[in-house]
Amino acid sequence: MAPTEAELIDDLNRLMAEEAEACLRYFQIRFRLRGRGRETAEKFFDEAIKETLEHADAIAKQIHALGHVPSLQINVSLDEGPMTPDDALAEALEVETAALDAYQDFLPRVAGHATLEPFIRQQIAIETEHVQDIQDVLRAPGNLTLVIKPGA
Amino acid sequence: MDTWKQFEANELTHSAAHHLLAIHEVGLQYGGWARVSDIARELQITRGSVSINLRALKKRGLVETDAHRQVKLTPEGLQAANAVMATRAVLKTFFADVLGVPEVQADIDSCKIEHLISHATAERLALFQRFLTSDPAELKQLLKRFHRFHAECPKERSCDVCKGHCPMDTLPQAI
Repeated sequence: MAPTEAELIDDLNRLMAEEAEACLRYFQIRFRLRGRGRETAEKFFDEAIKETLEHADAIAKQIHALGHVPSLQINVSLDEGPMTPDDALAEALEVETAALDAYQDFLPRVAGHATLEPFIRQQIAIETEHVQDIQDVLRAPGNLTLVIKPGA
Repeated sequence: MDTWKQFEANELTHSAAHHLLAIHEVGLQYGGWARVSDIARELQITRGSVSINLRALKKRGLVETDAHRQVKLTPEGLQAANAVMATRAVLKTFFADVLGVPEVQADIDSCKIEHLISHATAERLALFQRFLTSDPAELKQLLKRFHRFHAECPKERSCDVCKGHCPMDTLPQAI
């Protein structure tokens, strides 16, 4: 059964929360980084903060375009302890994989939708690339430069 | 006394306990297996948060995951979840059936307090309730007397129980 517009908006709000919360998480992780590779990891998280915020904004605009006001509900308590760059990236991998799963689960619900289907497909492509990038770095410790995009 | 510092020193954090309960609840329909998305909906948090929290539970051997990123309680995780549910049930029964606290409030308070009391205290409370319920007729009389006594709280709002700090007067303002 096709989802109602209200259900689609709920799902979009949840996707926006994933991105906004990831942004806050990365914002804080940046200050917890310690040890070898910290500076490079900081650059990665700087970039990740911008991208997750852009994604949250893009989803909010989709919600708005459908005639609704975005509703952001997040409830997160973040740790304060120091993190090695590898641990931080492992956490980022969890977050990005969760976001990718969320987009993939949502795709069948927007099949045939003129604007949402291409938008979600695009997000899946981007998140897939992120996950792949982080996995590559974690397989090759000490090579954090792999995930820094040109111009970052 | 450093008791207040023990608030976050439990073996299982309040958040971790809720994750275990959510996995248990969601997994009941699927042979114990739960999806991250369903756990997130149950707890009303993001999938990202669930994934991060599951990492910690997995490290402690309380949950396991499969190739499809589904989650299941390990025997240790199930034991921990059962302990949480048992303590909560004991507290809720005490609040609702003995003290006469409304069901909804009893549910909320048992959830909060479960995390704070020791297993030893929970066991004693369970034993006390078994004792109370061992004679239903006497329990009925006792509760009748209790509720009558409650209604006749002394005017001076001070007794051997509250030691001069009557909760009847202070709690409504504190909350």
